[in-house]
Order: sequence, then structure tokens, then C-alpha cells
Amino acid sequence: MLQIANLHAKVAEDEREILKGLTLSVKPGEVHAIMGPNGSGKSTLANVIAGRETYEVTDGAVTLDGEDLLEMEPDERAHKGVFLAFQYPVEIPGVSNTYFLRAALNARRKANGEDEMDALAFMKHIREKVKTLGLTDDMLSRSVNEGFSGGEKKRNEIFQMAVLEPRLCVLDETDSGLDIDALQTVAHGVNALRSPDRAFIVVTHYQRLLNFIVPDFVHVLMDGRLVKSGGKELALELEAKGYGWLEAEVGATA
Amino acid sequence: MSTVLSPATGLSGIVDHGAASGSSGAPWVRSLRAAALDAHRELGVPTTRHEEWKYTPLRRLVERDWAAGEPGPAVFQRELPRYDEGSIRIVLVNGRFDRNLSETEARSPHWVARSLRDAVTEDDAVVREWLGQVGPKTTQAVGREITPDSHTFAELNTATFEDGLFLHITGDVAALIEIVHVATGDGQAFAPRVLVVAEEGARARIVETYVTDGEGATFTYPVTEVVVKEGANLEHVRVQDEGAEAFHIANWQTTQAAGSEYHSFNVCYGAGLARVDQGIWLDGQATVTRLDGVVCAGGDQHIDNHTRLDHAQPNSNSFEVYKQIVDDRATVVFNGKIFVHQDAQKTDAKQTNQALLLSPTATIDSKPQLEIFADDVKCTHGATVGQLEDLPLFYMRSRGVPKDQAEAVLVYAFAAEVLELITHVGLRQALERRLYEKLGVDLGA
Repeated sequence: MLQIANLHAKVAEDEREILKGLTLSVKPGEVHAIMGPNGSGKSTLANVIAGRETYEVTDGAVTLDGEDLLEMEPDERAHKGVFLAFQYPVEIPGVSNTYFLRAALNARRKANGEDEMDALAFMKHIREKVKTLGLTDDMLSRSVNEGFSGGEKKRNEIFQMAVLEPRLCVLDETDSGLDIDALQTVAHGVNALRSPDRAFIVVTHYQRLLNFIVPDFVHVLMDGRLVKSGGKELALELEAKGYGWLEAEVGATA
Repeated sequence: MSTVLSPATGLSGIVDHGAASGSSGAPWVRSLRAAALDAHRELGVPTTRHEEWKYTPLRRLVERDWAAGEPGPAVFQRELPRYDEGSIRIVLVNGRFDRNLSETEARSPHWVARSLRDAVTEDDAVVREWLGQVGPKTTQAVGREITPDSHTFAELNTATFEDGLFLHITGDVAALIEIVHVATGDGQAFAPRVLVVAEEGARARIVETYVTDGEGATFTYPVTEVVVKEGANLEHVRVQDEGAEAFHIANWQTTQAAGSEYHSFNVCYGAGLARVDQGIWLDGQATVTRLDGVVCAGGDQHIDNHTRLDHAQPNSNSFEVYKQIVDDRATVVFNGKIFVHQDAQKTDAKQTNQALLLSPTATIDSKPQLEIFADDVKCTHGATVGQLEDLPLFYMRSRGVPKDQAEAVLVYAFAAEVLELITHVGLRQALERRLYEKLGVDLGA
């Protein structure tokens, strides 16, 4: 589904490369965890996949089902099924959650040649999701993330993901700033969305989230490259040993 | 060095017409008009060397020869605005009260709407008391005098208006009162005049909408005077949505008595060159005032708003929020004066004006101006100029909202803080739709 080959990227107005030749292949139904120390390029990877313009790709390729993702605008990527759950969800005063989601959903449906969803059908669609995520109805009428607590913001991201039903979900440090209850709610929401034709890339600093969202693959990102890949047990090893031993190992082979 | 243009400007046709026709009516009207004509002649047409007109050149206005406006047609090319099927609608065509299009038979005993010309001719006592008398007065303050601003175009209106509307509100009016001003006729100048008097304890919602019909340049220089008596409550929305060739220079004055509330909204979408001078004179204690504005200018539009709020009595609150969207090569000017007179202790006045620049060639000139002569008051003001932020835009796009729509939604959200305060739902939604139209986004159903 997603192919990343030799990806090099940097912040647009900066010379320093952050991603230095990253390669990754994700198939439908798989859950990939990307772990790594601060500054290793985890968020850059997530943002580059979603098309954030503050990052510039200097080399390499990213394709989704064979199509060049890097050529697409962020909204086109969303129409193809890419979804980024933000590390810091953005507050948009004056725009209600419901309005925002309906605009997003209908834009995608339109782009894919489907009929737009009318207000009634849309409300029915989102009320089901509200229930499964343990959200309250008042969150729907409130402005997008405005005045939300950290936990509410993250739950709202997962809620949006549930409503938009993307094919490739990228979670950028969704666990940061969450207490254990909120973490479980978020993980429950993600697990409910796991399906054979949907893939996840879970970017995280800590292993904790992976107790609840069990990955098929764990990759360690260091200094802009994936330096080690393995199964879910790799996450436990990292939790026990930290990243230091890997740095030494990578340093030795470099 | 003169700060006024020579008298041989494109306005002399209107002035001469005013001089010729100002000799009818009761003695008080004749002297009011004669004094106004003298004042206008003395003030002339200001140039940008005049402090109050520094950012708004009138060259394009006076280059043309304007004719005193003729009566308009009975049918129009466009549909006239209507926000509510159940509203009381009054239509003024080329400044004249249109009996066919207006509702004149009051459904309730709480209001009367009539031709201002008729009211003047019949020497209506309320009109005699208030016409030309609304707005700031001179007061003494520590070591100086606080004087009203001079308004050359308001004087011109007083000297030349043909007709207008006298709206008398004496009780609680539930229906929305819609006043529609239509201007049509290339090269013609119009002086609509509106006097609204809300008696003690009266309550109403009013919307005044200025539009043009058909092609051609028109020059409208309206004056609206509003009297809000003790304990009365008025919501007054002013919508200027004239055609791109139109010139619109308006004066809008309000006097508030004790315990009254006045919520005013100045919505500026249209005209090529527009200027509104709004003044509110707080002439009683415990008043509440809102003085809000939404400006959306694109193309080569030039929109200038000067507001002046005079706290003349103690214990009153005022809030002013202006949201200004400037695109393309447009220019927007804002000047917000607040005078807190010496007697006005315990005044609480808050002014905010924000501008969103959507293009590198758009211009905003913003000037808050607080003058405080009392010592126990709370006055704040803040002005910001910004652009659309990248992050919210990316956030929306990453969810699939196309760029144009995401931008429009964010711009709308910027203005919504003010539009959301308009209590009539149909009116608010119409103004929102119009804003989206101006921003070039079709939101569908």
C-alpha cells in the first residue's frame, strides 16, 4: 500500500537534513510502530506523509498504491485515504466540529465521485462514532479543539479518524500528554478501526501505547534512518534498555 | 496650503440644487438647511491633508460631475434584499420613500414608518425635536473643550435631502424592521435620510441595507440618526453592499439616554469607495453599547470607517470589535475614537480592531484613539494585523478540505466572532452567505 524509498527531507528554510534515506513498506491491515529518541525525525516522517509544506523532500519516493504521494496536495492525499492524527491538534475558533467534519467528508466523497452526504445521514453516521468513542454530543457543536483538554483533543483526533474512515492512518505521538484512562480510550478507538484493508503507522517515543495498540512491526528511527526493525518484542527491549545501546550499535556499524 | 478642494468640484451641481430647493418647509427646516449649506461650503471637500481624511483620497469622487438624483424606477433589475418573510420592510429608492414597496400600515400600535418629507411638511413635533440634533455635543474638560467632529457630507445631506424615512418606535416590535436603500442611475447623487426615534422602554431590531441596481456609478451620502431613549433597546445592523463602481460616504449618529442599550453592527461589503462616520453620544448613566464592524474588501475597494464614542455620563459600558478582511489591492482604514468626558467616571470601554491581510498588495491603516478626561475609568484597546496561519490551514487540508474552502472557512471564522452576535438568525445567515460569496466560495446547500 505505502512504499517509502530512500526518503530524504529537511525543514524548508533549513539546510540540515532530518530524514536521511528512510525506506519502509506498509501493507494493508498492518500496524507499524515507529519508535525513536527525540529529534530522530519521527514527526518529520509523519508530516511528510501528510504533505506539510514546511518540510521539503530532497530525495527519494513515497507512493500510495503506486501513485506518487509527494506530487499531491495535502487535501488530495486525504482524498486518497491518508490521515494524520496530529501531535498537537490545532484549535480553530468559530468552526464547529460537525461543520468541519462534514466539509472534510464531503470533499473526499466528491473527489472520489461519490454523492455528498446530506445533513441527516451525516448526523446518523457521526452519532454512532460518538457512542463508540465515549464522547459527548456537546463536543460536536463546539469549535474544533477550542478549549479542549489535552485528552479531549487526542480523542477528537481519533473521532475524526473514525468518521473519515481513512485507509492509511498516521498517528503522531498520539500518546503524549495522556493519562492512562485517556490512553486506553484512544487505543480502544484505534483498535476498533483495525481492519484487513486499513494500515496504521504509530509514531511514539514510549512503548506504553503499544501495550494497547499491539503492532505487527516495530522500527527504530535514529538520525533520519530506520536502524532496526523487528516484531512487537523489540518495543519491550527498547523500554527495558533505552535507545543508548542501539546508538552504540549503529555507531559501530556506521 | 489648503486642506479642502476648490469649490469648483464635481459636487457643485448638488450644492447648487440644494441651494435652490432649500427654501421650502417650516422656518426651522429652512434655517437648518441653510446653516448646513453654509457649513458644507465652508468645509468644502477635504483632501488627504485633512487629518480625518488622511488615508482616503476623494479625487476619484470629485473628478466626476454629479447630478442631483432623480426619482428611481418602479421595477429593478435585481432582487431587493429580504432577510425575513415576516419582516416589516421599508424601501427607499434613490433616497425617496417608496409607498408601493413599503409597509406603511402598522400591524401593531408600537411603530410608525412614514416619508420624512411628509413628516417635515406636516411639521411633526418629534422630527422637529431631533432632526439634525443627534450625536456628540460640546463639553468642557480640564483645560479644554471637547467638540463634535465636523462632517461636510452630513451637512451636504441636510442641505439637499429630498425625502427619507421617519421611523417612530413606541413599544416592543417583535418583527424585524428592514430598511432597504436602493440607488440607481449613472452619475447621480443621492442623500437618503433616516431618523429613528425609539421612545422610553421601546424595543426593536432594525437592519438598514444599502444596494445599487444596474450598471453605472452612483454617489450615496446618507445620514441616519438614531435616538434611543431611557431604557430602550435597539439592535441596529447596517449593511453596505453597493456595486463596485459606487461611492458611499455615510454619517450615522446615535444618542443614547440612561439605561438604554444599543447594539450596532457596521457590515461593509460593497462600493468602490466607502466611508462611514459613526458617532454615539452616551447621554445618560448605565447605558450599554456595542459598536461592532465586519469589513470585507477585495479588488480595488477602499473602505474607511471612522467611529467615535463619547462617554459623557458615568457608569456606562461600551464594547467595540472590528474585524477587517482585506484582499487583492484593497485598502481598509479604521479610526476608532473614544472620548471619556470629565463627568464619565466608572466608564468601562473596550475596543478591539483586527485585520486579516490576504494579499501582499492589500493595505490596512488602523488608528485607535482614546482621549480620557475622567480619572476612575477602565479603557482598553488593541489592534492586530495578521495573515492566515499555516497550521490551521494545513490541519483542515490534511482532513481533505480543499485549500480555497479551508481559507474561506478560516476567514469566515475570523469574522464570525462579530456576525454571531447578530440575534436575527435569517439576517445573520444571509450576511454569512454573502461573506462566503465575496470570498469566492460556493458552500452548496
